[in-house]
Amino acid sequence: MADVFEVTIWCRGVIQDMEGRHLSLVLANAAAKSGKFVQAWDNYADLPDRVLVPLRKYCRISDEEIEMRYVYENNNPSLVIVMEEVIVKGIDILRGATKGTALVVNTKRSADEILAVIPNKDLLSAIVTVDATGIAGGTGLEALDFLGSEGGVEAVSVGVAVSAPLAGAATKVCNLFSLDNVVATAANKAGVKEGEKTAVVKKL
Amino acid sequence: MPKETYMAGCAATANGAKLARVEVITSYPIRPYTGIMMELSRMVAAGELDAEFVHGEGEHAQVSVTQGASASGARAYTGSSGVGVAYAMEVYSPISGGRYPCQMAIADRAYDPPGDFGSEHTDVMSCSNQGWILGWAETPQESMDNCIIYYRIGEDAKVMLPQWQVQDGYFVSHIPNKVSIPDQEVIDEFLPPYNCPHALTPQNPTNHGPQIFPDQGPAIDLQRAQAFLNTPKVIEQAIADYNKAVGRDYTPWLEEYKTDGAEYVFFLMGGHCRTARFAVDHLRKKGAKVGMVKLRFVRPWPTTQVCEVLSKFKAVGVIESQTNYGGAMKGGELQHEVRSSLYDSPKQPACCSFMAGLGGEVISLEEFYNMAKILEKMAKAGKAEQYVYWVGFDNGI
Repeated sequence: MADVFEVTIWCRGVIQDMEGRHLSLVLANAAAKSGKFVQAWDNYADLPDRVLVPLRKYCRISDEEIEMRYVYENNNPSLVIVMEEVIVKGIDILRGATKGTALVVNTKRSADEILAVIPNKDLLSAIVTVDATGIAGGTGLEALDFLGSEGGVEAVSVGVAVSAPLAGAATKVCNLFSLDNVVATAANKAGVKEGEKTAVVKKL
Repeated sequence: MPKETYMAGCAATANGAKLARVEVITSYPIRPYTGIMMELSRMVAAGELDAEFVHGEGEHAQVSVTQGASASGARAYTGSSGVGVAYAMEVYSPISGGRYPCQMAIADRAYDPPGDFGSEHTDVMSCSNQGWILGWAETPQESMDNCIIYYRIGEDAKVMLPQWQVQDGYFVSHIPNKVSIPDQEVIDEFLPPYNCPHALTPQNPTNHGPQIFPDQGPAIDLQRAQAFLNTPKVIEQAIADYNKAVGRDYTPWLEEYKTDGAEYVFFLMGGHCRTARFAVDHLRKKGAKVGMVKLRFVRPWPTTQVCEVLSKFKAVGVIESQTNYGGAMKGGELQHEVRSSLYDSPKQPACCSFMAGLGGEVISLEEFYNMAKILEKMAKAGKAEQYVYWVGFDNGI
């Protein structure tokens, strides 16, 4: 069985449901453009329809067909993306991760400020900070749509708000999806590019 | 040109219903089937589908509205999951007894307790004696195709039966996979509009579902039983026509996967077949004489086909993602059907149940490997040591 690269995205219930889902879709679709086998999906086992609850969205990328697509959660993520900075405090966002995992956080703070509240930061190979909310502008709540959840299909463009700069920032620590392919996949192309340009990478 | 895309089972099934030009849709939300109704409501709101969308106040009302819609001559569509399937139970027999060929999409889900969103076959399997056509899809594509094919079967004048079109909750309903959406014109030719022979209308008043005297009961039930005897030929024709029109290669009853030279097989239905295929691939590379047999219809049950196919092997492991506590074989329901089918066979394989995937637990490759080890032993010994193995709990499995 081929190695499967796992991406886990942490976001906030309801208000970031769409953007979290779209971030997993943008990364998966971008990787698929270079011939990878991919899977992007919502958390199912718990009920994530409460406002502001920490919520996970997932993505799998592999060179060969992904055999165990039914496994509900990513058990060993190699890339963790946090869409709302407060989630890093008090929740083990690196659960299941082993040494060498990369972390991307939507924040105006410095990497050191974020690392100070992550007790298992020794697992990290790199941390990327990016002000995705600032780049996306607005509150991010202008585009809320649930049709793409629960096994439905997206009725709106994918990657319009915070998901775009976060996807751009993620290209700096993961070569399974290229910046070009992420730009091609997301609706907010300027946001992706700005995210990639302004993201600060700290190797650990 | 068919449209190639990625879709989860819910969205794919909604597209199937759209292609079937359903006329009345009745909904009530429950995970995991809800996505089908979300997508259909969007299609109706956007003007992509011309249908009445009725929201019931519960599953009992929802399915009752479906019955009324079908009785008035509409192609009626509904669906549910888990306890929702159970709540509508009273309405199932009136629908099949009244011979209303409506369709109910099920994304299966475990019953309570204590409350679980996971896939399990118990919900609709516990209704399997209610006179509905019943079958499982393995993929979003198969679920979409089955939706269209089932209407053609159910609405056939020789059949006139309602259909449960089932997919596994989450595994099929929520995980996107490749889907090819056929052209509307192709489906319109395959599935003409529903021609109801006795539609309720003020112009021609008729009485549906009246109280009867006891001696009238057997005749009505015999007709329903005879409809099921007529169904297999209609199924075979419908699937042959669909394969030709749309370019698929579905077998009507049992799909055999790598059974050439196999001595023992997994026998199962639904989304777990996907994992079983990978398990068979890996085990075959190591020299194991294993294969898989996938069941496509539970009602009508393909007795002679099951007998013919399974008689070729030395051991059969029936993977049961549902329970029938205290039944003849002390595990799930499928082994009862499998053993009954083999009763008249001169060459009977050893047979056991594997209780796996209950509550929506994923059946892992390792668990398939462990099941194969037991089947290998059974094939050598020519008999089953146990009727039932609880995967993850019994010794060595």
